[in-house]
Amino acid sequence: MKRLWPFLLLLSLGLAFAQTPTGQPPPDLDPEVFKIANQLRCPVCQGESAGESNAGVSQEMRRQIAEMLKEGKSEEAIKRYFVERYGEWILYAPPKRGINWLLWAAPALGLLLIGFGLWRYLAEAKRREAELGLSPEELKALEAELEEE
Amino acid sequence: MKLSRLFWLFLILFLGWLFYWGMHRNPGELKSVLVGRPAPDFTLPPLPPFREAYGETFRLADYLGKTPIVLNFWASWCYPACYEEAPILEAAWERHKGEVLFLGINTQDKEEKALEFVARFGLTFPNLYDPRGKVGIDYGMYGVPETFFIDRQGIVRYRHAGAIDAGTLEKRIREVLR
Repeated sequence: MKRLWPFLLLLSLGLAFAQTPTGQPPPDLDPEVFKIANQLRCPVCQGESAGESNAGVSQEMRRQIAEMLKEGKSEEAIKRYFVERYGEWILYAPPKRGINWLLWAAPALGLLLIGFGLWRYLAEAKRREAELGLSPEELKALEAELEEE
Repeated sequence: MKLSRLFWLFLILFLGWLFYWGMHRNPGELKSVLVGRPAPDFTLPPLPPFREAYGETFRLADYLGKTPIVLNFWASWCYPACYEEAPILEAAWERHKGEVLFLGINTQDKEEKALEFVARFGLTFPNLYDPRGKVGIDYGMYGVPETFFIDRQGIVRYRHAGAIDAGTLEKRIREVLR
């Protein structure tokens, strides 16, 4: 129990200072607006969405999204509106077709390659071990000897 | 065994090249999807000094398909890029007045600041006021300054991002004049 105290203290401190994420501008608009804006890039920023950024153009994008929602436009139609003007670059998640598939497949491909490399390496190491013709006991003895040195 | 070594060598070289290529790309260099498409129409009020000559509202459609247009987005807070190109634009306008329409769009700015800018550089080509920056979004604008070149048929031919220099401006004007 004694050990738990520092942890509890830290936890309560953390809770005391906890705030809503400051990266977001005040929710002056409907959450639905931010849901869509978060999927779009802020054109003048680097690595910030139109939902997070406070740049003038992002504010205008949010305003336009709010207006289009009021007109009854669907989320897809609104995203299409921005794609028509900025190209697919404006979308954080590029549509899964054509060369874009490569983007989506790249992480899995990378993992596969690493896995393959690791497998080859381990197989090679095992083969060499077998080539030496030592029993596990002999190997252990040798390793112990090495450690002593 | 040899073949698999070669494979890994090529893979590493390829990844290295990909990384190098990615690091040397200019994130600001993005093609406009508008190029080759009709320029989007808009209606905006001219800034006060230009109202006498161009009226209370300016509609692009009245000029599209009739004359080549150089459309420049700017703001008074865009320093130094907009300040660098303003005298270049004004000088080119003086030279090409009769054959090309220059159009400035003051974007996301305060009117009095915009007027100060216009007076400072003695701009005489029409400048319109778009405090919300709505037209900028219609043109897929990334940031001021940006210049669009629209040909006689009303088709966007080229987009220049950043301050434009006299040589590029002249070259692009020739292209839309053709």
